[in-house]
Amino acid sequence: MGVTKVVGIVLVSHSRDLARGLADLASQVAGPEVRVEPAGGGPDGTLGTSGVTVGDAIARAEAGQGVVVLADLGSAVLTVKHVTENLNGSVRLVDAPFVEGAIAAAVMAAAGQALDDVARAAEETRGACKL
Amino acid sequence: MQIALPAKIALHARPAGQFVKTASQFQAQVRISVDGKAVDAKSILAVLALGAQGGTVLTLSAEGDDAQAALTALAACVSGLVE
Repeated sequence: MGVTKVVGIVLVSHSRDLARGLADLASQVAGPEVRVEPAGGGPDGTLGTSGVTVGDAIARAEAGQGVVVLADLGSAVLTVKHVTENLNGSVRLVDAPFVEGAIAAAVMAAAGQALDDVARAAEETRGACKL
Repeated sequence: MQIALPAKIALHARPAGQFVKTASQFQAQVRISVDGKAVDAKSILAVLALGAQGGTVLTLSAEGDDAQAALTALAACVSGLVE
């Protein structure tokens, strides 16, 4: 699977540390096949989101099979929508829990699944119970 | 089919990812059960939630055209899991 191009994942958070930590976790579970790119924090490392940071992460994650984007809260979603409105349909913002969705999407992407299937796997975690 | 996890390998994090990635290569519906609790082997969250510890006996079942191939691949995957 190492040379196969797979769907990329971008994690948009108000916190740089949160995005990086989740990217680390998702990468460890999913393995080296998938690019999980963090896009956390505003300019100068402040709490917030940055369209430039998100756009750069999408570019790094794109390997030709599309990119699934997850956002943590509120305005992170707006930032992603703003960045992606001029991109084509290969970037998919999904409505999913940040942690669970990221893990599910990363594993499905690493398994070589198509963009629709990776996005669905993330959104199917909405009903996941922990107990 | 029943197969035991390697003694020191819990089905968490990377091993769970390896297992789910393998199951996802097949069209067959694949289930994994531990202590009578059966879940979709292609769902990482469900597999993680099983909390299977090293040495646990897993029961695998599959339905579909490539079910046998899926079980064979999963048995090899489980036997070869490393941290």
